[in-house]
Amino acid sequence: MKTMKVLLEDHEIPRQWYNIQADLPTPLRPPLHPATGKPVGPEDLAPIFPMNLIEQEVSTERWIDIPEEVLEKYLIWRPTPLCRARNFEKLLDAPVKIYYKMEGNSPAGSHKPNTAIPQAYYNKVAGVKHLSTETGAGQWGSALSMACQMFGLGCRVFMVKVSYEQKPYRRMMMNVWGAECIPSPSNLTQAGRNVLAEHPDSPGSLGIAISEAIEDAIAHPNAKYSLGSVLNHVMLHQTIIGLEAQKQMAKIGVYPDVVMGCAGGGSNFAGISLPYVRDKIHGKDVKIVGAEPTSCPTLTRGPFAYDFGDLAKMTPLLPMYTLGHDYVPAPIHAGGLRYHGMAPIVSHLVKENLVEARAYHQLDTFEAGVMWARSEGFIPAPETDHVIAAVVDEARRAKEEGKEKVILFNWSGHGMVDLASYDAYLTGKLLPYELPDEEIARALRAIEGFPKP
Amino acid sequence: MTELLFDKYDHLSIRCPKLGHELTFAYCRREGGNLPCPRSIRCWETFFPVENFLRETLDVETWDAFCRQAPPDKMTTLLDLIEKAKARQQADRT
Repeated sequence: MKTMKVLLEDHEIPRQWYNIQADLPTPLRPPLHPATGKPVGPEDLAPIFPMNLIEQEVSTERWIDIPEEVLEKYLIWRPTPLCRARNFEKLLDAPVKIYYKMEGNSPAGSHKPNTAIPQAYYNKVAGVKHLSTETGAGQWGSALSMACQMFGLGCRVFMVKVSYEQKPYRRMMMNVWGAECIPSPSNLTQAGRNVLAEHPDSPGSLGIAISEAIEDAIAHPNAKYSLGSVLNHVMLHQTIIGLEAQKQMAKIGVYPDVVMGCAGGGSNFAGISLPYVRDKIHGKDVKIVGAEPTSCPTLTRGPFAYDFGDLAKMTPLLPMYTLGHDYVPAPIHAGGLRYHGMAPIVSHLVKENLVEARAYHQLDTFEAGVMWARSEGFIPAPETDHVIAAVVDEARRAKEEGKEKVILFNWSGHGMVDLASYDAYLTGKLLPYELPDEEIARALRAIEGFPKP
Repeated sequence: MTELLFDKYDHLSIRCPKLGHELTFAYCRREGGNLPCPRSIRCWETFFPVENFLRETLDVETWDAFCRQAPPDKMTTLLDLIEKAKARQQADRT
């Protein structure tokens, strides 16, 4: 019988998180305070975060012990299985072995509790009674609600009103876990009241929700704010994913050629990849890829022709669907993990060429997610579909190169409360890209004279 | 004329990378109250001529304000919001 899963016993769970800041070839530049222009100090963050988390935020210690109380909660579902996607491999028919970390089996259904739990714990230890946060679709809000319940903290989640109305199930999860989920803008804060005075029917935004959550934390004694992405301590907590994967792959004597994760705010990507970035810094030959969304069109609407794979014309001519190797929609070419909500650590690693960013169009990601569900069974979260699209892409590259590859990726969450998104995809409500005729004509001109496949 | 343009595009649906679910263009063009979401052009430009649409439907001042929107990084946002919340608290007390 072929092995499908590599498991760790409870006692094999990693006891420390890994802090990439200890190994960065060049250190992260400290953030500057917008009011003073001076580097941000602990006192600047103290109104919203407890000091023990601020210490982690700025720490350059390589290894940070995971408290026993956190490990006890992690053990409810961790260590997560390392799975081999044999059915998906068969479907792709490429020379790849695909392994994935199943982070969708947490109680909240995603990787988010990996940091929600330590954040709730450290706040509890610091004497905090109440946490506030903001959420969009609710993945983070629901994870923090559960974590607060585990440590006896109150939790108030400001959920963007349009999401509150469209995504009721995670709101219900928050309520089940005892949290207060409030549509934002609300009358509970001055920030919310200001918006409602000007726009009574405002559907809200993440910007408004975060303003409300921070004001709520500052206005109440013994209350703090919590964030599920971007910050250094969040990346740190998520490294449990990659550290477990390293132990599991060592058990079967395999090392990945490519490590991949989807990169929104950066936390699940950092979680799987940072321990491997450490290996790369120390000389290991491993490619690390972050997959992000783009509105760049799927190129399958262009002609199938021989073309260069890159703007510099360095690659051999490859048969592909092409809009011409010079096709770069203006606002997109500067993209690639530059979204302002991306974690500074991840952006820094891209700049240092330790990590590569690839972008995938929404229709490609849903197509990949459906392929996954129809072969491996599990329905991925739409965010997870991005990395699955990247895996498909990598497998195709391996096939073209005729090279065997081991791919490891982070299956960051299930999509059981995102089925409306799949419905929108399957019923054609998500827009396909309509390639303008002039673009097709331009693409054909760009490849004039090249051999035809 | 403007209303006709709204009718043409408002119902179009896309997955929002910020909120993590599907939204219509009607939301994107008023995400910031009077201002469209700063990502509007990046998200929609391959689906319809969104830049032309915004130029036609926003007045000059609003278009300029939209173009000036440069979302700061998250840490800057947090620090800025801490200062604003503290100032609001101070104002409430006095």
